Amino acid sequence: MAKNEIVFKGTKDGLHILLKGDSSFEEFKNMLDEKIRPSKRFFEGAKIIGFSGKSIREEEYLELKSIIENQYGMEVIGDYNTLNVSNSYDIEEKSKKYNEILETRNSVEEKGLFIRGTIRSGQFIKFNGNITIIGDVNPGAYLEAKSSIIVMGIMRGTAHAGSDGNYDSYIAAFRLEPMQLRIGDIIARSPDGGPYKSGVPEIAVVKRGMIIVEPY
Amino acid sequence: MGEVIVITSGKGGVGKTTTTANIGTGLALEGKSVVLLDADIGLRNLDVVMGLENRIVYDLVDVVEKTCRLKQGLIKDKRFPNLFLMPAAQTKDKSAVTPEQMMELTKNLAEEFEYVLVDSPAGIEQGFKNAIAGASRSIVVTTPEVSAVRDADRIIGLLEANDLKNPQLLINRIKLEMVKRGDMMNIDDIVDILAIDLLGVVPDDEQIVISTNRGEPAIVDDRSLAGQAYRNIVKRILGDNIPFMSLDTDEGLITKIARVFGFVRK
Repeated sequence: MAKNEIVFKGTKDGLHILLKGDSSFEEFKNMLDEKIRPSKRFFEGAKIIGFSGKSIREEEYLELKSIIENQYGMEVIGDYNTLNVSNSYDIEEKSKKYNEILETRNSVEEKGLFIRGTIRSGQFIKFNGNITIIGDVNPGAYLEAKSSIIVMGIMRGTAHAGSDGNYDSYIAAFRLEPMQLRIGDIIARSPDGGPYKSGVPEIAVVKRGMIIVEPY
Repeated sequence: MGEVIVITSGKGGVGKTTTTANIGTGLALEGKSVVLLDADIGLRNLDVVMGLENRIVYDLVDVVEKTCRLKQGLIKDKRFPNLFLMPAAQTKDKSAVTPEQMMELTKNLAEEFEYVLVDSPAGIEQGFKNAIAGASRSIVVTTPEVSAVRDADRIIGLLEANDLKNPQLLINRIKLEMVKRGDMMNIDDIVDILAIDLLGVVPDDEQIVISTNRGEPAIVDDRSLAGQAYRNIVKRILGDNIPFMSLDTDEGLITKIARVFGFVRK
């Protein structure tokens, strides 16, 4: 049995499995097993973004998916309709398509408000979407966004992201030295004795019910 | 048509009135015709600082209400014939005039004088709105304290919202020694936060207290460090490019004072 009838192609988003040749589905299954089982730990946690080459039916796809996920500890992204099979070997084109799908996993489609200039004490910006400030936000200023907030400058004021309770929202700034950050109904304040200055761009996200600030 | 400049700060006690008196006197020293308008109705001070309190007959409210003519509300300065003061009323409050009346008043004064300086009251209410109503230019006074800078920031936002673009910043009462020790906010920190043009920095000077109490603005005193700073500021208002005083010096006091005026800050 020619083992190289199954080829893994790595892309930056994950692995792509190429089914070459005319072997039957059962043979492919065996070949896959032979290939993965010896180096199971290497493959564990890997993401499979699709199959190409020999076309497989939906039942076969689901069977493969279940084997890969349950026995090998890998993850298959998407479903039959979006990911699977063409007879084309053009992985490049395929993975481009998957990129588009993948990107939406980390992206927010919301209206955006862009403001250029300094937001000063007493100024209150409220927007039903994302807020982007190109400039500084000074102490005493207040930003409230239904989604996320980006400050391309120094964030010294108070920002409230995810104002309708969306914990996936975040607050990012070139310099994050805020009075207070709020995401959803979680509130974090700056340490006593003045805001901590890291000197690098940072992002505030919600992890385990807390607002965590980290460099991005 | 003269220029109407409002001097404001938000916070009280940072030196608006002292600044108005000194800049006004400085402009008069340069030969300009100047009128100082005290918009702090109910808490008038400018007349005291100018040493003209005993000459008050009519005031701003009388002029606005047409109890007297415009000229009758003006007090000529003791020293400079081209410097006038229109005092605030002391027995009324800020609601005695409206922004529309102030706009008309400053417009009338600007026809007679080259510079109309409006001394704004502290706060952001009616009195502030009156003070900025007729102005075409603004100077924001702050001291190197977090609270004063915070209020200045608020005021700049309000000025910009009221179409007074490009306010200029005057930092008052800088203590050279404290800045050097790192115990006081330095000028760069303040300018960074407020993000507006710096008009000048006035060092803390005991002479100011003395001259204020005597009713003689420090700017006429050649020995006063603050007076020197105000003279530079006046020249900048007139459009001259005067270098900033340098504060980061480790020299002895005498050389410091001698050299302090010759540097460009950046």
